[in-house]
Amino acid sequence: MNSPGVALADALSGQRDLLLTCVHCGLCLPACPTYVRLHDENDSPRGRLYLMRAVVEGRIDPAAEAFQTHIDRCLGCRACEPVCPAGVEYGTLLEHARAVAVTARPRPWFIRTLLGVFQRPGRTRTVMRLSRWLRASGLAGLGAWVFPRRWHTLRMGLAMLSASGGGKLRRLGRRRRAALPEAPVGPPDAYSALLDTDEEDELRPARVGLLSGCVQAGLFERVNDATGRVLKANGFAAVTPSAQGCCGALHGHAGDLEGARALARVNIAAFEGADVETVVVNAAGCGAAMKGYAQLLADDAEFATRAAAMTEKIVDISEILVRYGMRQGASVPARVTYDAPCHLLHAQGVAEAPLEMLRSIPQLELVELNGSAECCGGAGLYGITQGELGGAIGSDKVDAILETKAEAVATGNPGCMMHIGAWLRFRGARIETIHPVELVDESYRRGGLY
Amino acid sequence: MSAALSSEVTADLRTIVGDQWVITDPVRLLAYESDGLTAYRRPPGAVVLPADTDEVSQVMARLAHAEVPVVPRGAGTGLSGGALAGSDAVILATPRMNRIVHVDPENRLALLQPGVINADLTEAARPHGLYYAPDPSSQSACTIGGNVAENAGGPHCLKYGVTSRYVTGLTVVLYDGEVLRLGGLGRDSAGYDLTGVFIGSEGCFGIATEIEVRLLPIPQATRTLLAMFDRLEDAGEAVSAIVARGLLPAALEIIDRETIQAVEASIFAAGYPVDVEAALVIEFDGIEAGLDFEAEEAEGCCWEKGAREVRRARSERERLGLWKGRKNAFGAFGRVAPDLLVQDATVPRTRLPEVLRAISEIGHRYGLRLANVFHAGDGNLHPNILFDRTDEDELARVEQASREIMAVCVAAGGTITGEHGVGLDKRGYMRLVHSRDVLEVMRATKKAFDPWGGMNPGKVLP
Ligand SMILES: Cc1cc2nc3c(=O)[nH]c(=O)nc-3n(C[C@H](O)[C@H](O)[C@H](O)COP(=O)(O)OP(=O)(O)OC[C@H]3O[C@@H](n4cnc5c(N)ncnc54)[C@H](O)[C@@H]3O)c2cc1C
Ligand code: SF4
Ligand code: SF4
Repeated sequence: MNSPGVALADALSGQRDLLLTCVHCGLCLPACPTYVRLHDENDSPRGRLYLMRAVVEGRIDPAAEAFQTHIDRCLGCRACEPVCPAGVEYGTLLEHARAVAVTARPRPWFIRTLLGVFQRPGRTRTVMRLSRWLRASGLAGLGAWVFPRRWHTLRMGLAMLSASGGGKLRRLGRRRRAALPEAPVGPPDAYSALLDTDEEDELRPARVGLLSGCVQAGLFERVNDATGRVLKANGFAAVTPSAQGCCGALHGHAGDLEGARALARVNIAAFEGADVETVVVNAAGCGAAMKGYAQLLADDAEFATRAAAMTEKIVDISEILVRYGMRQGASVPARVTYDAPCHLLHAQGVAEAPLEMLRSIPQLELVELNGSAECCGGAGLYGITQGELGGAIGSDKVDAILETKAEAVATGNPGCMMHIGAWLRFRGARIETIHPVELVDESYRRGGLY
Repeated sequence: MSAALSSEVTADLRTIVGDQWVITDPVRLLAYESDGLTAYRRPPGAVVLPADTDEVSQVMARLAHAEVPVVPRGAGTGLSGGALAGSDAVILATPRMNRIVHVDPENRLALLQPGVINADLTEAARPHGLYYAPDPSSQSACTIGGNVAENAGGPHCLKYGVTSRYVTGLTVVLYDGEVLRLGGLGRDSAGYDLTGVFIGSEGCFGIATEIEVRLLPIPQATRTLLAMFDRLEDAGEAVSAIVARGLLPAALEIIDRETIQAVEASIFAAGYPVDVEAALVIEFDGIEAGLDFEAEEAEGCCWEKGAREVRRARSERERLGLWKGRKNAFGAFGRVAPDLLVQDATVPRTRLPEVLRAISEIGHRYGLRLANVFHAGDGNLHPNILFDRTDEDELARVEQASREIMAVCVAAGGTITGEHGVGLDKRGYMRLVHSRDVLEVMRATKKAFDPWGGMNPGKVLP
């Protein structure tokens, strides 16, 4: 099958060694949300890797419908990585496969437009301003409500936008609060005690950088604000260099590796300029992408070492708080459940920190979510581009959430918050979708820490 | 047999199971050209994914009518090429049949569809204080149907026995679509044990579409030890000493230095010292009383045979830590070499040390990298040959060495497969271990279930 497509496979050919680490054992099959629903091995990690290998070996053309469909249908959730005994670096391979796939067949216009928007901070700001207006005016919510299902892209986009609006944090746990004795706020000297007992103290950074993000800054400013306040309350001065931009995660996942690299360079330079040893990220997708900068720019003569240094600096907000110990706020006696973002749990391997962070809140009742480790179907733009499957996965997630009878579901990634929020709305459920750090912030606020 | 697969037939299959559950696109069939053993590759003519016994029966009847052969497939983790079909045949895959029909805690039984994953069954039984004992190292992915077809074993089968001990009833669909119910709760089990005959039939008799299995109470407690040795033979002798002392461990597993190094270099590094020649995992389980005594006795055996170090797990977490190196061995090889040939042979336990020496000599002679991971208590060896299939000279040496290893095992009174089955891979060795008469009886048994010869042709029998 000697077609022009074979030449396009170069991006993957460079990854031949990585591809060959797959021993075809099949242990990853049950971990894959698309395989367990579609039952076709081409929709399993092993099957997708095999398709990639077939492209590299010139057995199939990357423009082939099957290659395009199955690579597109991957959530990029990386649930296949921690279960793989051979340690196949699936996430990296997927990005390269996407790069090959899009060269062979360009993406739809709205994806290209969206990626173009996030490439430039100016354009991002304009679009975000418009989005906030749509959200605030209630038009987004209305649109999601009135548009027919077959206009999926638009309907889902608006529902997600509307769901980004934020939860009613102040009301959380109000009903039960009356019945419970007020828990004592952590003693006023708890913070200084924390400072001089912890053996990690010497390493404790006084100043940290904070990634504002594109969607996070545009639609979730309240989460960034909460992050800043919580960091400050715990003794970290957060700086947000203005030269930073979008982290490039969306570009990487969509196969626009050059776009992702350009953004990575901008951020590396921006945070080098801020002179910080730690960069805090509160969006799982961005954290995973930035921890991947070393890999992304490994072949860039000028940036390889700088990217590796940057990767070392990245921590999730939950990691930094738990690592150095955190102050205690007032009680928030709400029933809350936690959904693990794939890019925190599978891609970064951060499992316990967010839970510990939530457990530190007095009287917060944390109920386990069935299938918390499974993707919610949001997966960047997946919920929009792969409506049917994304919807099925999102709907299962909502079923599990409803089962917990929680008042709120906490998850540390804007994409997940919006996707879960949208599906909760479609189902008419009155459950708040919030970032875990917002709960800590609320607990501090109630405790009068600021 | 083997009329070409016509579009008429596939159209009929689509009518039976639904359009989306039939795969015919050549690009999509590539994913099904191998199972867990990539040395063999051949894409099928089509893949069908039926939902239940009834659909399986209709699909089979249609295919039998057109004289198209059928190959069952579960999760495709098999290591003998058993789930491969040629372009003239159809793969009937079971992942949609993944329902646990019920768990019956009173009778300690469960009824399952064949596509249920081994570990999911144990998960479903756990709330009742029960579990499913056979635990192949692939248990997180392999299906019960595949386990029945291969009569799968696992590390804990030393004490608990393999799949055949746990299957109490089967619903089987024959090639012509006929549905048989064999054994099972409350059914008449007089006469020949056909359930037993079907287990281990490697998809050559029919398709199991419902499986009834026995569950066991979860053991009250466990003791796990990890002993390190400077000589592989010493580890083998420690195994014999433990058994000779009358102890009955639940598991006795050895991994050698090559394997330890592969694991320690992988992301699953388990903290095993990389300079020892062998590590022996020993586990006891059962009621709490007596376990400490058994563990101490076994530890004594290890010291006696020259162990350098013995670790004992003090918590569940440490226990999993000790097991980690063993459990992740297979995949860890992926980092070391592009291709892997897993051998699977059984020898009498007492001959382990000499067989191991002979195998290592063969490896040296052919200049190949060999790594051993095995169920030592059962004498079930897994010599793994690491290679690169693009190197043709090496590939030839691998095949030669592999044949010699088999011959050594058979000469020591062993057999050619412990648990991975014969499939496509070991067919050529069948004459090494079975007399012509035995093979004739096997052929007659196959004929009794599949007189048409349409089920998984070209497998098992030479
Ligand atoms: C990492 C790894 C570790 C392993 N460890 C072990 C181990 O410890 N012990 C062990 O015994 N095996 C082990 N295996 C081998 C393999 O997992 C087992 O043979 C398993 O039973 C195969 O199940 P499967 O669902 O993957 O079947 P498949 O590979 O899909 O099929 C295997 C055979 O069963 C037939 N078959 C499948 N379903 C049915 C059905 N419903 N009815 C009739 N025939 C059917 C197929 O035709 C084929 O011949 C291991 C494999 C791997 C990759
Ligand atoms: S678990 Fe890893 S090695 Fe095994 S098939 Fe999946 S990706 Fe390949
Ligand atoms: S990233 Fe997620 S969806 Fe994609 S193959 Fe891996 S487990 Fe499946």
